[in-house]
Amino acid sequence: MRLREYEAKALFREFGIPTPQGLVIKVAEEAFNIKTFPATLKTQVLTGGRGKAGGIQFANNPEEAYVHAQNIFKLKIKDDMPTAILVEPKVTIKKEIYTSILIDRAYRGPIIMASAEGGVEIESSGAIEIVPIPGGQYHPFLGRKMATKLGFKGKDVLKYADIVQKLWNVYSTNDCDLVEINPLIIDGDDNFVALDGKVTINEDSVDRQPRFQGQLAEHLTDLGEREFKGKMLGLNIVELEGNIGILCNGAGLTMATMDLVFHHGGKPSNFLDVGGGASKAHVARALDLVSSDENVKVLLVNILGGITDCVEIANALKYYKETRPNANLVVRLVGNNETAAQKIMNDAGIPMTNVLDEAVKKAVAVAA
Amino acid sequence: MSVLINKNTKVIVQGITGAMGKTHAGLMKAYGTKIVAGVTPGKGGTEVDGVPVYDSVAEAVEKTDANCSVIFVPPYLCLDAALEAIDAGIPLISVITEGLPPMDAVKLHAAAEAKGVLVNGPNCPGIITPGECLIGIHPGSIYMAGRVGLISRSGTLTYEIGLGLKQAGIGLSTAVGIGGDPIIGIDQITSLKLFEADKDTDIIILVGEIGGSAEEEAADYIKEHIKKPIIGYIAGRTAPPGKRMGHAGAIISGNKGTAESKTKAFEAAGVKVAKTPSEIVDLVKAKVSVAV
Repeated sequence: MRLREYEAKALFREFGIPTPQGLVIKVAEEAFNIKTFPATLKTQVLTGGRGKAGGIQFANNPEEAYVHAQNIFKLKIKDDMPTAILVEPKVTIKKEIYTSILIDRAYRGPIIMASAEGGVEIESSGAIEIVPIPGGQYHPFLGRKMATKLGFKGKDVLKYADIVQKLWNVYSTNDCDLVEINPLIIDGDDNFVALDGKVTINEDSVDRQPRFQGQLAEHLTDLGEREFKGKMLGLNIVELEGNIGILCNGAGLTMATMDLVFHHGGKPSNFLDVGGGASKAHVARALDLVSSDENVKVLLVNILGGITDCVEIANALKYYKETRPNANLVVRLVGNNETAAQKIMNDAGIPMTNVLDEAVKKAVAVAA
Repeated sequence: MSVLINKNTKVIVQGITGAMGKTHAGLMKAYGTKIVAGVTPGKGGTEVDGVPVYDSVAEAVEKTDANCSVIFVPPYLCLDAALEAIDAGIPLISVITEGLPPMDAVKLHAAAEAKGVLVNGPNCPGIITPGECLIGIHPGSIYMAGRVGLISRSGTLTYEIGLGLKQAGIGLSTAVGIGGDPIIGIDQITSLKLFEADKDTDIIILVGEIGGSAEEEAADYIKEHIKKPIIGYIAGRTAPPGKRMGHAGAIISGNKGTAESKTKAFEAAGVKVAKTPSEIVDLVKAKVSVAV
């Protein structure tokens, strides 16, 4: 769950990381409340590339700010429509640095990642420095170690390490996947200031973070319709561009099924892993979600029941067929409670194809 | 023989009084696994399907000499449960729970490594040595016993392959479901090492998926250390970049973690890579007939 810049910065300030004195406006008329010029107006969307898309503008007086604000509020970037603009005074920049904390698989734990050249995409930045945080146990010397790697001397070592310590506090207290300051600047008074902020809260951890509970929906505004609904329903769906709707159980089997569809010359409309132990109701919602894309010509259901009861799936399919008699269904249903499921499917008049390759070929033929 | 677990493994179930724990304790017991105790703090002195429940892992170990724990507790209680098992001296812990907060996983693995404890998972189906011992949620009847070792990041895909092999008359020494999270305990290299040393395993199947670099590292290890034939498979060859494909760890980041890179690494290490699950079975069949 990614926070918008103004939310990330509010969190930073709470943990003692300085940011510019910003003003959040929710309607264009509030632009007349801006006191300090020149001012930067930044759209608060969740997608990247907002500068290039015209979502960041500069104003020298309230009238200019008002015009920009009107335009920014009308500017949809990818799927995301802004609900706020962050207005900040222009600051003097002596130096720009990149600093982030995230979990790295190779180090089996969190790392501090930084570059002495901030302000750009980190991938295109020069030397990226890494300091691992072993076992997830932070100590202040780790921040000083990074400061030295970035070339800081004397008091700046302590100032930078202080920012890293506070960034770690944000990261560890809030179960973050990522905290990033890009750029972290040194301003005209030689202070470190977070000029931008990116914070992603780990979605599995949101329920134990009281301040972020119930906020998921308003932080998924950059997702496509089926992916957004899927998140809300607790379904793992990824939008693809073809016409074969896929519903499977388990991430690996779902990926393998998707790969097989391509292998046999078809194009999946989506990836959907219905999870383990799904109930009839959950599967019914998943079937609805997959077929809500009008391009879907056929539904390919591939279930290998371990923890999942095939009867629950069969009942959901039976209901689906009753409500949509003309839908094309190709079903492979094996494993836990398979015989009872077979009977339900026979009674409902839904044929089963229990060899995976056969099922995929059949779905591809129907969709062609 | 087999790796990690066998008919003598004494298993406790942490979270045995929860819905998941109760169901799977019953299924594991019915399969023949020695389920010697359950642990749920506050429910000590009770029983679940004839299995005694204790308040602590330490007590369960003292009473039963258990040497393996399967954890079914909810995500936010999982770290505490695993640390308790590590503290009680359990040498092998299988964490079935999905959705462990990443920092909890980091702490869990750091504690296990410090004590030399093997952790299977988290977010995994567990391990099965067909005919002897099942820990976790594998559907036991899908597998038959034999001489092929199976290592996989995915649960249901493991069942798919186990079923395909069984239909072809091929059995498994052990199947290790290593889990779909970015940070796991028993990984591909650990499992490869065990299967290479196991005199009752002739062929190894290594099922990877997109995300991370575990397959590339396994390939480097295979080149130097593994003499047994290996059949590989990578799920997610057609996955779009930047999207998490169900598993927390299955994501192509930038140009890293692609199926192409993993397939190349496998092939460079002499691993024959199957394009489809059924081709895995065909390739194993060919190897088996050569061996006979």
